[in-house]
Amino acid sequence: MNKIHYPELDETCYREVLENGLTVAVVKKSGFTKKLAYFVTDYGAIHTEFTLEGKQYQAPAGVAHYLEHKLFDMPEGRDVSAEFASLGAMTNAFTSYDMTAYYFSCTENFRDCLKLLLEFVSTPYFTEESVEKERGIIDQEIGMNQDAPDSVIFENLMVSLYENHPIRVPILGDSETIRQITPEVLHTCHRAFYTPGNMLLCVIGDVDPEEVAALARQVLGSEQKAVGIKAPLREEPMTCPRKEVTRVMEVAMPMFNLAFKCEPLGQGEEAIRQEMIADLAAETLFGESSELYLRLYEEGLIDSSFGGGFETIDGCAMLMCSGDSDDPAAVRDAILAQMDTIRTEGIDEAAFQRMKRSALGRRIRSLDSFDATVFRVCAYHFSGFDYFRFPEVYRDIQKEEIVAFLDRIVTEERCSLSVIAPISKEEVS
Amino acid sequence: MIKTIELSPGIELRCCRDSRFKQGCLSFQIVRPMLADENAMNALVPSILLRGTRRYGDLRAITGRLDELYGAAVSTIVRRVGDYQTTGLYCSFMDDRFALPGDAVLEPMLAFLTELLLDSPLEDGGFLPAFVESEKKNLIATIESELNDKRAYAMGKLLRTMCREDAFGLPRLGETAQVAAIDPVQLYTHYRKILRESQIQIFYVGSAEDRTVAELLQPLLQRLERSFVPLAPQTPFRPCQGVDTVETMEVSQGKLCMGFTSPITNRMKEFPAMQVLNTIFGSGMTSKLFLNIREKMSLCYSIGSGYYGTKGIVTVSAGIDFDKEEVTREAVLRQLQACQEGDISEEELTAARQAILSSLRAVHDSPSGIEGYYATAALSGMGLAPAEYMAAVEAVTKAQVVAAANSLRLHTTYFLKGGSQ
Repeated sequence: MNKIHYPELDETCYREVLENGLTVAVVKKSGFTKKLAYFVTDYGAIHTEFTLEGKQYQAPAGVAHYLEHKLFDMPEGRDVSAEFASLGAMTNAFTSYDMTAYYFSCTENFRDCLKLLLEFVSTPYFTEESVEKERGIIDQEIGMNQDAPDSVIFENLMVSLYENHPIRVPILGDSETIRQITPEVLHTCHRAFYTPGNMLLCVIGDVDPEEVAALARQVLGSEQKAVGIKAPLREEPMTCPRKEVTRVMEVAMPMFNLAFKCEPLGQGEEAIRQEMIADLAAETLFGESSELYLRLYEEGLIDSSFGGGFETIDGCAMLMCSGDSDDPAAVRDAILAQMDTIRTEGIDEAAFQRMKRSALGRRIRSLDSFDATVFRVCAYHFSGFDYFRFPEVYRDIQKEEIVAFLDRIVTEERCSLSVIAPISKEEVS
Repeated sequence: MIKTIELSPGIELRCCRDSRFKQGCLSFQIVRPMLADENAMNALVPSILLRGTRRYGDLRAITGRLDELYGAAVSTIVRRVGDYQTTGLYCSFMDDRFALPGDAVLEPMLAFLTELLLDSPLEDGGFLPAFVESEKKNLIATIESELNDKRAYAMGKLLRTMCREDAFGLPRLGETAQVAAIDPVQLYTHYRKILRESQIQIFYVGSAEDRTVAELLQPLLQRLERSFVPLAPQTPFRPCQGVDTVETMEVSQGKLCMGFTSPITNRMKEFPAMQVLNTIFGSGMTSKLFLNIREKMSLCYSIGSGYYGTKGIVTVSAGIDFDKEEVTREAVLRQLQACQEGDISEEELTAARQAILSSLRAVHDSPSGIEGYYATAALSGMGLAPAEYMAAVEAVTKAQVVAAANSLRLHTTYFLKGGSQ
């Protein structure tokens, strides 16, 4: 395997692309007990339209997530969770808009756990009965999300921010679309996107990298298989279909999600540089040491629930912030007004340098978290970038680039606001 | 691996020296009995401390200082540990080896912590009214936003009802009305008192030696005027009549919570067996509740149980359709009955023991994991050292698990369902 040491971060990473197309990445953590392995496919909730072996498919919304649930089924009544449990390991999975990840963590029996992970994710086994039974469970999960203001507020924001992008559709789909999911649909999606060439195996912990690669070869074989071709996304204008959307729910005080639409990033080195510029731009505009954050906090317009950053998903990107506020529209207006100030006055060089140092320090600290590290390594891999190179990219960024980015993005046309308002007491009685 | 140094009567420093991490952490906790007339004040104090010091007069100056310390973070701690409430600050900061040549983080970090704790700007013998008013508003918002997470809200309601005779039933952050009534002078006076009288626990994880940390804390300690009043030990659940409550709200999914009591607490030798029982019964994807009520009966997406060892309480919570309350409740009781009758396989027993051991081993793999586990274990009255504890978990027999199951009694239920109030 190809070994790279990153002295500045005191990290070592091993990588290899196997004959079957699978990328294996091992972040070696000597002296740690815990081992965490992610087996990830570059396929998520938004990838419902695709072509496989010359044939076009349009899968129902929610299929990637449904498939994630059902992959835990194995032939002959085997119970994957119980097998992990008997090895002393914990397993789970999640589906995001643009990737699906299966993982386990263990302190012992790593070899057996890794084999089991590779085996169950690469073994599609769906019966009519079990697919039917899952519908009730997923319906309850959908119901839970409908009562979770955090999910509702984000899903509403996506509908009001995007005209065409499939991020408008909730990851879980809805009760209607999941009714259309059959074993055959699941098989097709598995065949299209769960081939080694579309996947990444990332392990973090005190493990032998060569052994990880050898096990992946052993379980997955060497054959290269066809990968589904995702349908190109339709062109998305840089304006929003709606400026504002409000929903009334059982919440204590108004909550908001606010986003500025950005151009999608593309792939590779330049894309990652753009992402880090955007990340620092978010810090500059409304990060915890920004002028704006401190002023709004002191005025009581926002509280410690406020936070924000740059989000990027296959084919779309946004500068986003969220929190609780008695007056979400006033927060939006304050951000736009602050942007006018930045346009005329620029940003202070000393403050910018301090912020860069702080952002870099926080990223270095976050490497202590196995989960955060493995997640980032996977996400950056699918964008064609080595995550551990972030310090050099950060160092190189100039404040003029930040100002130029903000100037372009933080405008009224690109902005949309999603609010959850509490049920007013009068209405109830 | 944890060294404990008594710095002065009632003030303990626990150090876990570990050079594997990129960051260190240090928590400073004042330990109080959970009491209705002070829990809101204890919850409010740390947020005021973070608003400014005499030298760093406002949030801007505070965050500027933290940025200089390579993006260090200081956050508030308000924890419930059985009968106690802790209040204080938690610092996480980059390890010195990643700083620029000749620069350090730990030393200035602790100097800054000292300022935060002891150099608040004052007005007429109280905290600054502007800070107090603004943080009161934030604390009230936090208390009320429990409503946003229906599962947490329902569980809070269950525990409050069940423990209405017990300190465990008091809300961790106090009640809205109590927060609203706090005034800056009263709050500062209270803060001086708890700094003077309370047990204080300082916990450090990082690459520095315990002696070094103790020395760096001297300037802070020398400024504390102490007259230590020891805490009463933890107590088990205080019995009262059980209640079954149904509440309606505009929700699309119901939340059923059930509370069971047991005489077994974390201070007793039966504790490991109760932990194993809880794991078999309702913790994780291989538990009886998950496999039967979710996987076999498709009644829910989320279901699980939890064991509050300080009190001897086991809770179950499930997100279900409104008309499935009866059938779910019966199914939960049936699974408990299975445990009570010894319907537990060797695989279930082994898997449960393994799950507990794995999570104990993994505690040592992050600074926050170490701090969270050991700082709380010490206060909760748990007598076992980790090695002893792991050996005890490994030795748990099926008969002991069955006995633990048979010690459980259903006490109180709470059901949140849809509809207008």
